[in-house]
Amino acid sequence: MRLYTASSEETLRARKLLTDWAADGILTNAQYERLEQETISELRTTNIFLRLVLFLFTLISVGGAVALFFVVSRPSEQTSGVLFLIFAALCYAAAELAVSQARLYRYGIEEALAVCSVGFLCAGMDLAPFSGRPYSPKPYAAEFLVPAASAVFSLWIWRRFGLWYAFLAAMIFVVFLPGYWTSSHSAQHVTIAVFYAAGLICVAAVRPRHHFDYLADAYSLVEAFLWLGIYLAINLQLSSLNLRTQWLGIGTIASEFARPFYWATWVLIWCLPPLVLARGIRQKDRFVIAVGAIVAILTFVSNKPYLGWPRHTWDPMLLGILLTGVALFIRRWLARGPSGVRYGFTAARLSGKDKRWMNAGSAVLGLVSPQSITPAPQTSSPDFRFGGGASGGGGASGEF
Amino acid sequence: MNILARLEHWKKEGAISLEQHAFLASLSRGEPFSLFLELNVLLYAGVLAFVAGLGWTVTTWSQQIGDVLVLIVLSTILAGCFWYCFSRAPAWSAAETAAPSPIFDYVLYLGSLVWCVELAYLENRFHVLSGQSDFYLLATGGLFFFLAYRFDNRLVLSLALSSLAGWFGLTISHWPSHQDAAYRQYALLYCLLVGVGGVLLQRRGLKPHFFGTYLNIVANVLFWALLSGVFNRQGYGLWFLALLIACGASLAWGVTRRQFAFVAYAAVYGYVGVSSMFLRGVFDETVVLSYFVLTGVAMLVVLVQIARRFGRPA
Repeated sequence: MRLYTASSEETLRARKLLTDWAADGILTNAQYERLEQETISELRTTNIFLRLVLFLFTLISVGGAVALFFVVSRPSEQTSGVLFLIFAALCYAAAELAVSQARLYRYGIEEALAVCSVGFLCAGMDLAPFSGRPYSPKPYAAEFLVPAASAVFSLWIWRRFGLWYAFLAAMIFVVFLPGYWTSSHSAQHVTIAVFYAAGLICVAAVRPRHHFDYLADAYSLVEAFLWLGIYLAINLQLSSLNLRTQWLGIGTIASEFARPFYWATWVLIWCLPPLVLARGIRQKDRFVIAVGAIVAILTFVSNKPYLGWPRHTWDPMLLGILLTGVALFIRRWLARGPSGVRYGFTAARLSGKDKRWMNAGSAVLGLVSPQSITPAPQTSSPDFRFGGGASGGGGASGEF
Repeated sequence: MNILARLEHWKKEGAISLEQHAFLASLSRGEPFSLFLELNVLLYAGVLAFVAGLGWTVTTWSQQIGDVLVLIVLSTILAGCFWYCFSRAPAWSAAETAAPSPIFDYVLYLGSLVWCVELAYLENRFHVLSGQSDFYLLATGGLFFFLAYRFDNRLVLSLALSSLAGWFGLTISHWPSHQDAAYRQYALLYCLLVGVGGVLLQRRGLKPHFFGTYLNIVANVLFWALLSGVFNRQGYGLWFLALLIACGASLAWGVTRRQFAFVAYAAVYGYVGVSSMFLRGVFDETVVLSYFVLTGVAMLVVLVQIARRFGRPA
């Protein structure tokens, strides 16, 4: 089912690890040069920046060509739908060819072609069978085929090309499915969560076969997405659309749902984070641990709106103290273990890659964070203006 | 053959020693599993959330709490942070130095952010430098540069660079007319100052590992400034020429130094600038779309050639 052979992907993975180990000084240059010869792959790869730029220009070329075709031929809506489906097939065939003939691997070009094929399929499915019908505020039941087909095709792209964001796209398409089947918001939330849970069961069943191989990271990421999806589906305070209104206390979503359902989801949002964290820690799975931490924070953040309690300005301070305290406690606890290791975990840095990530991240976050933390001015007193930070500088650049 | 089997094979071949095999195999199995990155992210998020809450609380409750209490609390946190950093820091070195403790960088970052909150509060309440508030940014930028170089901290260096950029922005906002052109000139001046400063510091061996941060910020600000000139209705020719020169320089730097972010900057910013020139006054959608198809394909061909020759992952 996969376009790339297991041996090609394993070879690429080994090559990448060799590069990391040589950069960390674990391997000597002579060893690296010798072992590198054993990890030569026929697949053509490039670095992340060129990959992104190639992706962008492929999108521009394909998008421009398709738009030009429609501008020149000006077809009817239904014909446009059929043409979109043809373009989807062409893009998909081009993506397959780019891999099978040019041996492109995460090269940007084949990825953009695959993404275009999903987009065109979605547009074609929407226009071809359902255009020309009289207007109705209620969607046609058969229209669920649009997101369903798009989700299935995205899943296929994920399996075939190994593109993680195709799986994410499939999850997003699933969100639109229940709207065609039921008008009950509770049922919609439950349906989405059930879909994701089914996906999770499948992934959990497949994963043990791929410990330590090239698919381990891919399945880890997918499992993390599914856990996050389930959490977002059951957290009614986060998944509801009029989030801003509710959080400002103008409206409430408690009345939208039956009380037992509402409180059952509240219980679930407290149960899920420890479950996800436990699973991540047991599997030593970085992505699942990260999602466990994220959903734990989201639970703390959304608990007050859930209970209908007022928010306080010092809530973020308490959250900050909690996060810092937890990080310090874990670090110290791990460091006190024999050789700084407890239960197979350490707080020490083992790879130079972590440091490179930290360096890149700190440069970017240092520029971004001052804007994100600067509060809005106090509105109750017109003569009191404070904050801003429009030009950076940690809020000191505001209009005083 | 997965990586564990491959390591076994290399050990049997004698390509790696027994110790290397044991270490790399355990690393591949995640034994031990390092939580270094996760704990650092948690610390960063904690500091950020704390300061956000602090700023929000001060903003909302300052009149009820009173200036004295607010300033005492902010000053205590500030003094505590800087005391911690200055008392724990090792002797200064021009080379890259590791933080003396895992939380050191975050304490410094907390202190820097609290400094910003306190300064903004002081000016807002007491108008110490009334009308000259941009000097706060200059002073803050100076302090942050000192702290970044003293404690070898990239987070604070980024704060310093954004404070300096803010000072340039606020200074020019005092000029009421021709703001666009003036902003552009000040952006170029900022690029010149930061770029030359970065080069000089690197040449003198003062924290040369910071050079990448300088260069990326300068490149982006420069390209934005030049693009804004290219988008002008009149007098854009010189800006376009400058953009082409900057793109050429960025491309050459990226390819020779194997820093492909600069190749990406040259490709994207250059494409936007050249497209705006060619499509100026063109409203026929067939021509516009044909342009995108042709130039998109041309860019792909050029970039594939660059990727083939230079762009394999290091």
